[in-house]
Amino acid sequence: MAKVTLTVNGVKHTRKVEDRALLVNVLREDLGLTGTHIGCDTSQCGCCTVTLDGRAVKSCSVLAVQANGSKVTTIEGLAKNGKLHPVQRAFAECHGLQCGFCTPGMIMATVGMLKDNPNPTEDEIIHGLEGNLCRCTGYINIIKAVKKSAKLMRGRAR
Amino acid sequence: MAHTAHHHFPAPKMRLEDTRLITGSGKYAADWDLKGQLHGYFLRADRAHAEIVAIDAGAALKHPGVVAIFTGEDAVRAGYVNAPHALNFPGKNGMKTRAPKRPALAHGRIRFVGEAVALVVAESVHAAQDAAELLQVQYRDLPAVVSPEAALAPGAPQLHDDVPGNMPLETEVGNAAAVEQAIAGAAHVTRLKMEVTRVAPSPMEPRACTVVHDANADSYTLHVCSQGYTTLRAQLSAYTGVPRDKLNFEVRDVGGGFGQRTLAYPEYCALMIAARATARPVRWVSTRSEGFMTDSHGRANIISGELALDKAGKILAMRLDWVNDMGSYLGPGAMGHIRNTSSCMTGVYRIPALYANYRVALTNTTPVAAYRGAGRPDISYVVERLVSQAAAELKVDAAELRRRNFIPTDAFPYTTATGSVYENADLPGLLDQALKLADWKGFAGRRKKSEKAGKLRGIGISTVIENTGAGNAPKDDIQIDLDARGEVTVHTVSKAQGHSHETTFAAIVAAALQIPIERVHVRQCMPDMQHVLTGNHTGGSRSTVGAGSVCHLAALKVIEQGKPLAALELGVEPSQVEYAKGAFRTRESRRAVKLADLAKGKTFTVAAEGKFGSTQPNGCHIVEVEVDPDTGATDIVSYCAVDDCGVVINHAVVAGQLHGGVVQGVGQVLGEQVVYDRASGQMLTASFMDYCMPRAGIVRGIRGEEHPTPSKVSPLGVKGMGESGCTASLPAATNAVIDALRPLGIDRLDMPLTPATVWHAIQSAKEKAQ
Repeated sequence: MAKVTLTVNGVKHTRKVEDRALLVNVLREDLGLTGTHIGCDTSQCGCCTVTLDGRAVKSCSVLAVQANGSKVTTIEGLAKNGKLHPVQRAFAECHGLQCGFCTPGMIMATVGMLKDNPNPTEDEIIHGLEGNLCRCTGYINIIKAVKKSAKLMRGRAR
Repeated sequence: MAHTAHHHFPAPKMRLEDTRLITGSGKYAADWDLKGQLHGYFLRADRAHAEIVAIDAGAALKHPGVVAIFTGEDAVRAGYVNAPHALNFPGKNGMKTRAPKRPALAHGRIRFVGEAVALVVAESVHAAQDAAELLQVQYRDLPAVVSPEAALAPGAPQLHDDVPGNMPLETEVGNAAAVEQAIAGAAHVTRLKMEVTRVAPSPMEPRACTVVHDANADSYTLHVCSQGYTTLRAQLSAYTGVPRDKLNFEVRDVGGGFGQRTLAYPEYCALMIAARATARPVRWVSTRSEGFMTDSHGRANIISGELALDKAGKILAMRLDWVNDMGSYLGPGAMGHIRNTSSCMTGVYRIPALYANYRVALTNTTPVAAYRGAGRPDISYVVERLVSQAAAELKVDAAELRRRNFIPTDAFPYTTATGSVYENADLPGLLDQALKLADWKGFAGRRKKSEKAGKLRGIGISTVIENTGAGNAPKDDIQIDLDARGEVTVHTVSKAQGHSHETTFAAIVAAALQIPIERVHVRQCMPDMQHVLTGNHTGGSRSTVGAGSVCHLAALKVIEQGKPLAALELGVEPSQVEYAKGAFRTRESRRAVKLADLAKGKTFTVAAEGKFGSTQPNGCHIVEVEVDPDTGATDIVSYCAVDDCGVVINHAVVAGQLHGGVVQGVGQVLGEQVVYDRASGQMLTASFMDYCMPRAGIVRGIRGEEHPTPSKVSPLGVKGMGESGCTASLPAATNAVIDALRPLGIDRLDMPLTPATVWHAIQSAKEKAQ
């Protein structure tokens, strides 16, 4: 067992976790943040994407102990004071989600992608979403949603 | 029934279900965390076919945290052995379906890799998993067979003592003699053997189930991902013998279904045994690899087809010989492989003579069930590939050959040679619109351009129709509760798995009541309604046709039943009361009785039900591809779709359903396939690392248009369209790749058309040409 301290969505938590516990397990089971989903066991699907110190990571590929002392943002922490994050808004307004299971990961991956590249081309968006699987949308409206996210965020920065 | 509904359905800026799903507030089956819960872990067969000689649980039971271990002995003792199936077709020559038993945990023998052998229940998942590794299972290996054609051959390893020849059913449809005669006299016969490959439906949410047993009532509550509890409850009850009224469900958000979330899986039954025995909730969450091995697979059909035509290119007859691979056991979700492929056998064509023979095969593989379309994409693939192949052989334009054989618009309602009735369609109009949208005539020029860039360009077309919407339950039913704040709650048992019921059904009710959509709240499968409402689950593209139509009827009933109450309040005769925009009025008085006023004393409740027939969405999809001859890689460079979905409630939702369906079809054509090692029966594609899921960009865009012919089956005029995308894309995309390769002499390729497959075909064609 190891002691881990994480700041998740602005709140500091300290937990004793198994050495083998993954960040996603701690988020879901110890902190009850079930918005971060688990869709596979080989780090292909991206459903568990969160940001770790500002970078998008697959929380199934990070040991909880590796995240010790870090700041984590999950899908639950993205909206501020009841106001949706532009990426959340764009996904909903472009009908970029159907069942919603891949959505938290898609949104967090998009947040990470746009941080690195605020104005991605379609090819860059497709490349950026390579690690996120969706079975419902055919990705067509997800690509639209990422484009709209970028537009909304550029507007916000101005 | 004439369609009477308003056609101005409110379309909110975002779906009503979205806020919860984009903020992480959804509740999926794995999100339940019940007090005192134990964790289950299944030990699964690591081989394809073997006798279980002994299971030694001694060391595992002593592992810290382990509470109990269950095996096939427990399943047999409980009587949980009668896995339901739905192959209730009359067989050939009076044959009756031979359905093998399937204990909820394997007993005496395992028949596919991944079959559950034992359930370990412990205080934590890790403890259960660690203990499972200590279980000693002694097997005696048996030879395995994973190919359905090999399984039906003489001398094949036998899976079940009571299913001789591994063939639980052989059946047929149509008129064999008429087809034989037509083929014998035909000017041209096109012959093609095709495989609609075995695929893994793979909704993004892995399966999960937590079972609670109530000892006082001896009842069970399953917290589970499901397409609707009515079908699940009936199947579970059949499997376990537990009466239906002792089975309750918590089904909230469901992360995709595609047919795979309908079934009563044996794991659920095993968890029921464990919850009862331990007197604590028992939770199980599948891993993705378990899912690949044990969630039902889709398609898995091999078809030899013959299409007979006269000199003028008129189709005279079609004969199909099917081998349907059902995996190791019959499941309750595979009837579509026969029902839907026979009811839509004629496709969109007037074919006077049809005959199909079906041989159902059992193999040492994961059981097969419905997957988006459930046989409809399979039959459209077969018919549309045969027609395009015939066009190429006859040197007739593929669109023109279709046009010559269409069921004419004035021939509807049309009774097909296999006895189905198609309600309506405008096929020539649909085709014209699609040809224009895709600039069919300009293809030759585009092909030249691609050639200059060193690419092989192909164009593929499909014109398809399918039967949807009817449902298996005797009726669809809805309850509307109106409260004193004027909020309208709509209860349905139809369960969305991404379908947007909360938005679509709310739009239907809001339109009928002429109130803002935000005041309508759709609740699906709520526990307190589970023994009240008994309608259809969501599957077979039936929810808007069935439950949606009843939403409309129920809303009208609110108005109808509200009128006399409003009249009383207004002091007039009911006939003098008019309803508009959420209020009852008389022409004379300025006073109004609002909907909310009806519920002043107590909730105003209205129930409605209805039974509607089948609808036939149809469409024409035209795909262009570029194949790189150096790598064999295929790019979809254009995708055009014109669809007749009848009246559309929410255009964004319908387009979204089409997108998803199209890409599932294209995914299967270009990459997806469950592969087993022929010798060992091991699955070689049991993770997303090995199974080729479609990724972003596989289809960059779809130019879509609507060509509606409203259905009169229901008051809404809608057609069930949740599956039509893949029904059209499977043949259209394949035809496009074949068209690109045909100049090289290649016309017999089967999916998946991976770069390796295409590259090898190109190399052999080149060698042959030299």
